[in-house]
Amino acid sequence: MKLKKMMSLILVTAMAGSMVLTGCGSSSGDGAGGASSGDSGGSASSSSDGEKAQGDTVTIKWISQGTGEDGWEGMTRPILEAYEEETGVHVEAEFYTFSDLFEVIETKAAAGNADFDVMSVDVTYVSKYGTSGYLEPLDQYFSDEEKAKWDDASYQAGVWDGTMYGAPENTSTQELYYNKTLLDKAGITIPENDAQHRLTYEQVAELARQGLEKIDPDGTQGYIGFDFQQVSRVYQMNMLANAMGGKNISDDGYSLDGVINTQPWIDAMTWYQNLVNDGIASRGYDADQLGDQFAAGKMLFIVGGTWTPANMTCDDEVGYTYAPCFEGHEDQAATSTGSWYFGINSKSQNKDAAADFIKFFTLGKGSDMWLEVNGDVPSRIDKQEEIANNPDAPMDMKIAAYEAANTAVPRAVTPVFGEYSTVLDQAWEDVRNGADVEETLNNAVEQFASAVAAYKK
Amino acid sequence: MGGIYIKNKWLPYLLILPTIILICVFKIYPIFDSIIQGFSSSDSGFTLDNYKLLFADKTFWNSLKVTLKFNLIIIPVQIIVAFIMAMFVNVKVRGIEIFRTVFYLPFCISLTISTVIWQMMLNVNNGVVNSMLGVLGIKPIGFLIDKKWALLSIVLISSWRGCAYWMMFILAGLKGVDSAVYEAAKIDGSGFFNTLFRVTIPMLKNTLLFVLVANTTANFLLFAPMQIATDGGPQGSTNVLMYEAYKSAFKYSNRPRQACLVTILLVIVMTVCVVQNKLMTEKEA
Repeated sequence: MKLKKMMSLILVTAMAGSMVLTGCGSSSGDGAGGASSGDSGGSASSSSDGEKAQGDTVTIKWISQGTGEDGWEGMTRPILEAYEEETGVHVEAEFYTFSDLFEVIETKAAAGNADFDVMSVDVTYVSKYGTSGYLEPLDQYFSDEEKAKWDDASYQAGVWDGTMYGAPENTSTQELYYNKTLLDKAGITIPENDAQHRLTYEQVAELARQGLEKIDPDGTQGYIGFDFQQVSRVYQMNMLANAMGGKNISDDGYSLDGVINTQPWIDAMTWYQNLVNDGIASRGYDADQLGDQFAAGKMLFIVGGTWTPANMTCDDEVGYTYAPCFEGHEDQAATSTGSWYFGINSKSQNKDAAADFIKFFTLGKGSDMWLEVNGDVPSRIDKQEEIANNPDAPMDMKIAAYEAANTAVPRAVTPVFGEYSTVLDQAWEDVRNGADVEETLNNAVEQFASAVAAYKK
Repeated sequence: MGGIYIKNKWLPYLLILPTIILICVFKIYPIFDSIIQGFSSSDSGFTLDNYKLLFADKTFWNSLKVTLKFNLIIIPVQIIVAFIMAMFVNVKVRGIEIFRTVFYLPFCISLTISTVIWQMMLNVNNGVVNSMLGVLGIKPIGFLIDKKWALLSIVLISSWRGCAYWMMFILAGLKGVDSAVYEAAKIDGSGFFNTLFRVTIPMLKNTLLFVLVANTTANFLLFAPMQIATDGGPQGSTNVLMYEAYKSAFKYSNRPRQACLVTILLVIVMTVCVVQNKLMTEKEA
């Protein structure tokens, strides 16, 4: 009887154990107890049900991010149609949410999956996917002449250890946007400024404080004074430390010791924490939500990307200017940069066709169409010059082009960016929520050291 | 009828063969694969380095502490609340089916959706819970961003849904108890608590053992609310082992670390379940 019970128990725990062990590879699995291990809510959608080969039509598959008609899924459809019309090659695109794409690539590429040909690669993952063997080197597909068509920073960000793994779709930069309607209502005028005489973060914080006092004196209307579009993400938050003179990572790309547990980082994080504690910056919104607050007319100032004005959902007028700098660090103005790259799956059976599609999207007609619809900062030199020399080009794009060329600080280049961003995103969020700055930074150094130890053994 | 089984003694085995094969491929094989992966070096040789690295990692120990703390809170909470709910809906009054349905309803909502809903309700800026507290003059509480509250909030989110599920098992157990036993206890002058502890609970021993074991395993594996609502924070206060394993696999691509973590988790779950079983069996004896 006891043996029978014990056997039953072992069977139950073995089944449960297998749920543990298979849980990481499953996207469904909805148990109980509040009670699921793998219910992570990802989503994917395909633009086509087409098969790999339909008669004589060559089909390549591209996996990317940005679901929905307002996202890349809808924005890129005309480009894919134009490519098919021009070449006869059908591109079957599969879109995921931003965070799900990384998991999809890890799962598919780590398993040596050949069922996709082209992948969108966030700039920070180029080195990681390159060293992991997920990406096919692109040097054989792109001539030196073609490579020279991108600005050097954009091209170099797609290179790891002397090998080109990614072709830039575009780049990005940051500007200071403000809700002119709300500031007018509060009677606040933005002081004169330009690239050489920028507003300081301290000035912006003070203007935001004054604005909140006027439009939401008792703090019941839910207005936010000043914040960062991609709050608690290293992509944007690190520019604060950079603007104090801080670096992002050690030169070998494997350490944070002596990099983030330093005065520039302590000062930058302390300044941001005070901004939150003073009720000027927000708490409780994540990076997917905070931009919407500005778009809805609930925020006075935001540091954001060039897509910010186009995302407004209210009728308020938006103003923009150069990204701020810190007082005493006027010569160290820094903006975050980098964007998405195209890469070829190293296991793809259609590498030539994949490379051709990537050229179309990064250098050819597809690139023209993309830059027009996306409104982001081009990586192509000819397009950057077009903006700079065109007197009719929008001023915010001119500012963006200036920042990209003069104040852009590349993100941490490391093959362990997953660990880097996980540790530092959490550090920024913890500081935002009141954690001791120095202790948080020291913990982050230790956590990162532990995480990369496996790569150094 | 019986003749078929006697003549074809292999028939039952044949019938369960597809299931056995599926269990072996999708359940048993991954267990052994993960265990082996945890002890494998990059050149596929035997190594203890993966475990050495893990044991030297402060994040792992914090995660282990959080996992044990979380389960020490959530398991008793869920079972006691589910038991009380089951007792309530086991009474014979008109319309009790409506209450049973209402109590069970949370389980019909996916964990992802219920977590997102609770996340909005507990939001420090505009959540309905803080609005209600505001009416009472209480300042907004950062349920999901304050390390004092985050783990308890996850317990709340998970239990809101989980209790409904476990309630149904206990209710089924309660329904199986012969009413004559209660009547006999009543005639003997047994009060409510006396009947509860000396009649009801002992009669539900097998049901409770199942609920205890299944609830333990389910909660040790739980990570979706942490992933969605807190991302393991604030300050690692909700970073359970399962979520750490998930991050190792999908954010760090560090499969050996993930294999070590889930193997440790498996050992913990098995140990806890064996101990639970032993304690319950001893009581029975």
